[in-house]
Amino acid sequence: MPTTSAEARTAVYLRKIIYVLALLLIAAVFITPYLFAVLASFKPLGEIQSGHAWNLPRHFTFDNFTTIFSQYSFGTYLLNTAVVTIILTIGQVAFSLMGAYAFARLRFPGRDALFWGYLAMLMVPNVVTMIPLYVMMSKAGLINTYWVMILPYVFGTPYAIFLMRQYLLSIPGEVIEAARLDGCSEFTILRRVIVPMARPVIITATIIAIIFGWNNFLWPLISTDSAAVQPLTVGIANFNSSFAQQWNLVLAASLVALLPMVILFAVFQKHIVNSVNLTGASR
Amino acid sequence: MSVLAATKRGQRSGGDDEIQRKHAVTERRLAFGLLAPSLFGVGVFLLIPVLLVFAFSFIRWNMLNSPDFVGFDNYLDAFRFEGAGHALLITTIYVLLNIPAQTVLALGMAWLMNRPGRFTAVIRVLCVLPYLATPVAMALIWQWIFNPTTGVVNVMLSWVGISGPAWLNSSFWALPVVAFANIWQYVGYNMLFFLAGLQGIPHTLYEAASLDGAGRWQQFKSITMPLLRPTLFFVLVTGAIGSFQVFDTVYVMTNGGPGRATTVMNQLIYENGFVGFRIGTASALSVILFLVILAVTLVQSSYFNKRTTYEMV
Repeated sequence: MPTTSAEARTAVYLRKIIYVLALLLIAAVFITPYLFAVLASFKPLGEIQSGHAWNLPRHFTFDNFTTIFSQYSFGTYLLNTAVVTIILTIGQVAFSLMGAYAFARLRFPGRDALFWGYLAMLMVPNVVTMIPLYVMMSKAGLINTYWVMILPYVFGTPYAIFLMRQYLLSIPGEVIEAARLDGCSEFTILRRVIVPMARPVIITATIIAIIFGWNNFLWPLISTDSAAVQPLTVGIANFNSSFAQQWNLVLAASLVALLPMVILFAVFQKHIVNSVNLTGASR
Repeated sequence: MSVLAATKRGQRSGGDDEIQRKHAVTERRLAFGLLAPSLFGVGVFLLIPVLLVFAFSFIRWNMLNSPDFVGFDNYLDAFRFEGAGHALLITTIYVLLNIPAQTVLALGMAWLMNRPGRFTAVIRVLCVLPYLATPVAMALIWQWIFNPTTGVVNVMLSWVGISGPAWLNSSFWALPVVAFANIWQYVGYNMLFFLAGLQGIPHTLYEAASLDGAGRWQQFKSITMPLLRPTLFFVLVTGAIGSFQVFDTVYVMTNGGPGRATTVMNQLIYENGFVGFRIGTASALSVILFLVILAVTLVQSSYFNKRTTYEMV
C-alpha cells in the first residue's frame, strides 16, 4: 500500500512537471521573437550578423534608435500614427456609442431595417471598399493628408455599434425611466447614466479602435506617399525595402511600433482578456 | 408588427395620445440626431464604395483616361492575364495552412490552460499579447528570424545537422512561413474564445458522464465538442474571413514572391490597383474575393446550423 501511494504521488508529480514544462515551452514560443528583437536593437549591425540572437549585447548601444529618429523620419512617423489613432479612436467610440444608444433604447420608424442594413455592412470585407475609396478620396483631393486616414473610420463602425447596442440592451429600462422621471434630458441620460454603466464595452471598443488605428497598413500605404503624413507601419515597410538587411535599424524601428501596443496591453491586460466574453457573446 | 403597433396607437385616448405623439417626435428627432454621424460614415465610406466597386468592375479606367464600359471583360482579363486563378489557389492554400492549424492549436492551448492558478494565468496573458502586435513590425522580426544565413531558425537547425531552406526565398516554404507568422499572431486570441466556451460548460455534465463510465476522450467527444460548437463556428468564420484578406505580412515578408509563390488575392488587387492603376481589373478582383468570402461564410454557417439543429432534436 505505501509503495503504490508513493508511486501515485510520483506520477502526480511527474505530470505536474510535464505540465509546467509544456506551458514554459508555449511561453518561450510567444516571447522569444520580441526578446531577440529587443536584444538585437541594442547591438551594432556587425554583432547581429556574427553573434547569436540570444546573446546579450557585447557593445551595448542606443545608436540604432538615435539613428532612426535623427537620420530617418521616425519621429514624424510616430507623431503621424499617434495623431491619426487618437482622433480616429475618439470619434469612432463616441459616434458608435451614440448610434448604439439610438438602436438599443429609442423608438423611431425604420429602426430595425436600418439596423439590419448596418449588420449587412459588417459582412463587407475591408478590401472591397479600398479601390472606390481611393478614387473618391483622390477626386476630393484628400490623398496624402491626415484626413484620408481618419475620415473612413472616424464616424463609427457597424461592428462597434453592434457590440455596444448588445451591451446597452442589457441595461435595465427602469434605470433610464427613473432618470427621465427625474427630469434628466436625453443627453444627460446618455452622459450620466449610460456612459458609466457601459464602461466595459466602451473600453473594449476603444481598445479595438486603438489597435486598428495603430496597426493599419494597407489603406495608409495606398493613400499616402510622403513621409510628412505616413504612419509608422508604412514608414518601416518602406525603410525595410530600401535598407534591407540593416537589421539593427529595421528591428529598432519595429520595436518603436510595438512598444506602445505592449504598454496598452500591460495596462488593459485584464480587460482585453475579459473582453472576449463581450465580443464572443454578442455574435 | 406594424399592424399591432397601429391598433395599439388607435386604442389610446385623446389627451394621452397627444403627449405620446409629442414624445415620439422628440424621440425620433433625437434618434436621427444620434445616428447622423454613423449614417454619414457608413453611407459614404462603406455603402457607396461597395456599390461603386461593382460599377467599376465593368469599366476600363486608369483614372486618367475616360472610362469605357467593357462588360465582363475585366473579370475575363483577371483570369486570362492577371493570374486570378493562381491567386485564388494561393489564397486557398494559405487559408488551409492557417485556419485548421490555428483552430486546433487554440483549442489545445485552451484545454491545457483551463485551470486556475497564477502561473497558468500569466502564460495565458503572454499568449494573447501578439494579438495587439503590429503585423508589419512582426513581419520584419520574422523576416530576420527566418533569414537563410544568420537567422535563428537555420542556426538552430544546423545544430542537429540540418541545413535549413531559404524560407522566404523558397517558393515552397515562403507561404508556410507567412502562415506561421499569422498563426503565431492570432492563436492566443482565439484560445481566449475557447477558454470562455470551456468555462461555460457546467461541471456536472462531466461528473455525470464519468459516473456513467465515459472516458476522457468520450467526454471530450460527446460533451465538450458539441457544446463548443458555437465557439468553433465563431472562431472558424472570423478566422477564415480574416485569412482570405491577408495582406500586411505577405507584402512585407515576400511582396508576393518569390515569383508569384505568395501572391494572394489582396496582393494581386494591390498590384493591379495601385501599381498598374487598372481600376477596373482591381475592382473585378475585389468583387471576386468578396463573393468567395461570402460563399465560404454561407457554407460554414449552413453546415453549423444543420449540425446544431440535429444536436437539439
